[in-house]
Amino acid sequence: QSSSNPPAGDNDIKTVFHDAENFNVKHPLMNTWTLWFTKPPSGKGDNWAELLKEVISFDSVEEFWGIYNNITPTSDLALKSDYHLFKKGVRPEWEDPQNKHGGKWAFQFKDKKQVNIDALWLHVMLAAIGENLEDEEDKEVMGVVVNVRRGFYRIGLWTRTVGKALPGEKGRSFEQGKEVLQKIGKRFKQALQLKENEAVEFSGHTDAANAGSTRAKAKFTV
Amino acid sequence: DTHKPVEPAEPTAGMHALKTARFLEVRNELSKVYPEGILSPNPALNLGSKNKGRQYDKDFLLQFQEVFKEKPSMDWDMKLKETVGDSTDSARPQSAR
Repeated sequence: QSSSNPPAGDNDIKTVFHDAENFNVKHPLMNTWTLWFTKPPSGKGDNWAELLKEVISFDSVEEFWGIYNNITPTSDLALKSDYHLFKKGVRPEWEDPQNKHGGKWAFQFKDKKQVNIDALWLHVMLAAIGENLEDEEDKEVMGVVVNVRRGFYRIGLWTRTVGKALPGEKGRSFEQGKEVLQKIGKRFKQALQLKENEAVEFSGHTDAANAGSTRAKAKFTV
Repeated sequence: DTHKPVEPAEPTAGMHALKTARFLEVRNELSKVYPEGILSPNPALNLGSKNKGRQYDKDFLLQFQEVFKEKPSMDWDMKLKETVGDSTDSARPQSAR
């Protein structure tokens, strides 16, 4: 088959639903996303940089599913593993300059046996790549993450700011910034299908770093 | 076409399609392109927003799950082993030594 025949008109459009082996159009994502994986430490003094691995970047709906359907489900990962799905060009670390002033919404699922973590993580990824978590002008969402730990699963959503305009940027007032973050928090909560009384907490990265603890004080909740 | 892969493996038809397919211009094209029974992306997500029509709702996206299962590349298994690990070592809940 020759690729020198560009589709001439609508009649020639073949999606993956018409023919999964012979489609000629695919669905673009608004952003290119990169999937990262944190390996559990081996206990031999390995450093974080070696444990954090870039897996693959993608920019279409079809490609996302090819990856999702061929990768270890979260429920099969060892303790201390993480998946991170971040916009391309942003490392999923506090230290990345683009995350330096940011924070995260997070929720811990403490009853690991009760919770369908694979479905929850999938739904959060879909909300991210489908751009349901923020409005385009918000420019807050950096990525989403799932942590597998002994006592819980945790799903987080990283934001670019903690509501304050960044140095050198004229932006929203703190009130407006906070409103944007809370709107995003509510959409995140919805994607996680949480009940009204299950609080999702927001904290700044540097708060957590300075406190030397993974559990920072919540700045706000939804 | 089910010969054992002794030669350097060729990309599958699906991999090839993914590589060569062009991007749908979602806003203009998406209402009319799908076979019957397939939901279009929720138009409410795309109307009136300033974006380029690249928002997709969950129900639309989930329709692809059983339809497209191609590995991203021929060397995917190797790549996965180097990054996520395979299911025989790190990808198992840890057990006591």
